[in-house]
Amino acid sequence: MAGRWQRLYRGETTINFYGRRNVGFIVSGVLLIVTFGSLLVQGLNLGIDFKGGVAFEMPVKGALTVDSARTILEDNKLEASSAKIQTLSSGSDERLRIQLGELTAEQEKDVKDDLAAKAKVKVEEVSVEKVSATWGRSITWNAVRALLVFLVLVSLFIAWRFESRMAAGAIAAVIHDVGISVGVYSVLQLEVTPSTVVAFLTILGFSLYDTIVVFDKVHENTGRFSGSRVSYGDIVNVSMNQVLMRSLNTTIAAVLPVLSLLILGSGVFGAVALQEFALALLVGMATGAYSSIYIAAPILGILKERSAEYSSKQGELSLGTDMASLMATGAPVSRRASARKAEASESVAPKPAVDALLTHPPRPRKKTRR
Amino acid sequence: MSRRRLLLPLLSILFIACGAFVANVVAGNTPSLGLDLQGGASVTMTPIGDYEEASLNVAVDIIRQRVDSIGVAEPEIQRQGKNVVVNLPGVKDQQEALDLIGRTGSVELRPVVNLAENPDLTTTTSAAPGATTTTVKGATTTTVKGATTTLAPPAGGVGSSRGRAETTTTTTVPGTDPETGLKPGQTILPGRKDGMIYLVGPVEATGEVFSNDASVQVEAGSFSVVANLRNGELGENIWNALARKCYDGGEECPTKSIAIVLDGEVISAPRVQTPSFTNGSVSITGNFSRAEAEELQKILQFGAVPVKFETPTVQTVSATLGKDSLRAAIISGLLGVALVLAFLVFYYRLIALVVVAGLGVSSLLMWSIVSWLSKTNGLALTLSGAAGIIVSIGVTVDSYVVFFEKLKDDVQAGRTLRNSASRGFDSAWRTILIADTASLIGALVLWWLTVGSVRGFAFFLGLSTLSDMVVSYFFTRPIVLLLSRTRLFNNGRVLGVRGAQTTAEVA
Repeated sequence: MAGRWQRLYRGETTINFYGRRNVGFIVSGVLLIVTFGSLLVQGLNLGIDFKGGVAFEMPVKGALTVDSARTILEDNKLEASSAKIQTLSSGSDERLRIQLGELTAEQEKDVKDDLAAKAKVKVEEVSVEKVSATWGRSITWNAVRALLVFLVLVSLFIAWRFESRMAAGAIAAVIHDVGISVGVYSVLQLEVTPSTVVAFLTILGFSLYDTIVVFDKVHENTGRFSGSRVSYGDIVNVSMNQVLMRSLNTTIAAVLPVLSLLILGSGVFGAVALQEFALALLVGMATGAYSSIYIAAPILGILKERSAEYSSKQGELSLGTDMASLMATGAPVSRRASARKAEASESVAPKPAVDALLTHPPRPRKKTRR
Repeated sequence: MSRRRLLLPLLSILFIACGAFVANVVAGNTPSLGLDLQGGASVTMTPIGDYEEASLNVAVDIIRQRVDSIGVAEPEIQRQGKNVVVNLPGVKDQQEALDLIGRTGSVELRPVVNLAENPDLTTTTSAAPGATTTTVKGATTTTVKGATTTLAPPAGGVGSSRGRAETTTTTTVPGTDPETGLKPGQTILPGRKDGMIYLVGPVEATGEVFSNDASVQVEAGSFSVVANLRNGELGENIWNALARKCYDGGEECPTKSIAIVLDGEVISAPRVQTPSFTNGSVSITGNFSRAEAEELQKILQFGAVPVKFETPTVQTVSATLGKDSLRAAIISGLLGVALVLAFLVFYYRLIALVVVAGLGVSSLLMWSIVSWLSKTNGLALTLSGAAGIIVSIGVTVDSYVVFFEKLKDDVQAGRTLRNSASRGFDSAWRTILIADTASLIGALVLWWLTVGSVRGFAFFLGLSTLSDMVVSYFFTRPIVLLLSRTRLFNNGRVLGVRGAQTTAEVA
């Protein structure tokens, strides 16, 4: 429908986001329950960096190469994509080191035999040793502590710059996003590597950034409507529609490189290591954009409608043309007038007040010092 | 705003970006890549003789701590069987790798002859903290195992940096000239964390005077470390000889303090409070935090039964992800950016070219900074760092989107681009500033409180956020404001929307 696209393009949409907030809550609630269930039942598939495993080491001889070693792992039905295969060299001496997660004694023997056969060396020349995790417990603990400090500081920052209810909404959205992303990892049993952890942090940062941009608009509109009897739900709706295009564009801009990494990098070039990383980012960015509109803003709206300032202003949400006029003029249309207009012009979606505005160029806004 | 006031920042940032880029290219600096993308040096350390499993773990911790402190490069430390394997990114020289790992030998106890603030770290105040030690809880009579005797560190100890800055007495350490002034056995060592340098006497004892059971004690909310001495010749006698010497404060130990030294760094330098330790245990008190006390405990435990390593072997290790992964990442990353730009041009038309130029400027800046830090600080770009950069593309583009959406609204409402550009930027800049500040808070907190790949990520996130702010203000603002004055940009559908005036003309 061309008309709808055009309105979207011009930022003239009047979608009732706030009225349909329960849809978002239900969807997210279900997903979070699935996440919890999956974490309880099967947990996370932690990689070698967290759990340790075994390392095979042997001289590079015969037909043995990094690629053929990978093939051997695949033939033994092991996850070759998560194995770390490296060559060690000092002078002319070259050795191969293969690190894998925990193996059964049988798997270990099979791999050892195959590697020795490939390199045409004695089985004894292939050494197998247990390796510890490179990502120690203290690193995890440090990261968690840093995360908590960060969330507290950011809440304070938002509370100071905007208000405390916005901080609550933003933090809820961030937790929601990380929860869902972890859920995807748990449900699909994707292997968690250090880069996954980083991807989660990335998601968190992106989600927060997105939410702040949305809240900035809400904040601006709150000031604009402060004198009139506009409910907070209307303010949220108007703000959402005003930033909708921006949110879509930013998400597209952020997702395109990741999508390219996922499809081209791992699909066409076969760099499997990139696949899970890109997937985590993709899921996170999508939920980040979603949560700023469907989680953060509605939570803010609910909290705010209960506040002293707005509890008296509650009423039916302005929809359709009413919302459009709110967006354009910053003043609510009286109920009776809008009812009359609705009768007259049925469901045509005009831009009533915009035309009135267009007759003269808008006055530049007063410069207020903050 | 006058043309000149817009041209000046624009030209400056272009000059800086290009200049930095050219300077780095001429100097041959290129970004170095991390273990996963490029490989590095792998150091294998094999313990010799008898060792205790627990001590080996402590040794791994000590090595980890040191290697992690070298910067943003993301090293890997793990145990492989009985060996300790340390992988260092971007290190090609064998000797460099060995220097980084250090020796991790024994814990030494040496009398402190003098101490001063490290001139390499601070040049403003050079204080003699020895003068302030009267306030240290000297008469702490701890009740550990009967009549325990106590050591209290002077203000220069591990955790007691507070209250030191007030003293401004400028003292020069006598005889610290490294060429001549040192007596045999004396040497100057840096403190690990306190920013001091110590002139210490010869090694009079090792950590082996203690038995392997140092513990952290809490008393009235303050932490102390208690270590038991081995009996007779092995421990008590050696320790007491040193303690008496220091308690008397003679020429060899005028500061009355004993330095606990690990790998050429003074971990702590407690002051001796009693001439003789008769009941076999030593308690070290001070303004320790829990972490500091636990660190000292760990080091004393390690010193009691040190693990000796063979001369480590250094090998070159290849990347874990491999060249093909890197190439795939680069190609698909670039293609992704190209798609983003194509999308923006499609959506915002002509003005999107500003984004192309802006991304160009910020990539020049980022490349220069990363190259320069690779050279000077051993920075290495890993997949995690790349993640930070990929996200930054989204965030950078967002700054433009916020700005352009604002412009679009205004133009649609009937303003000319010329009128709305300046006001639109002010409004967009406010949003950008708030959102970027939140990102910066995140980057700084993660940088300070974490290690390894999380730290690497934080670094790149912070760097790209800063670059976003700089480019927005010093590049995007002037260039859009200047362009908005041109005829081309006020004529027709620059932003992809029809302005009110053009509509009127058509009608």
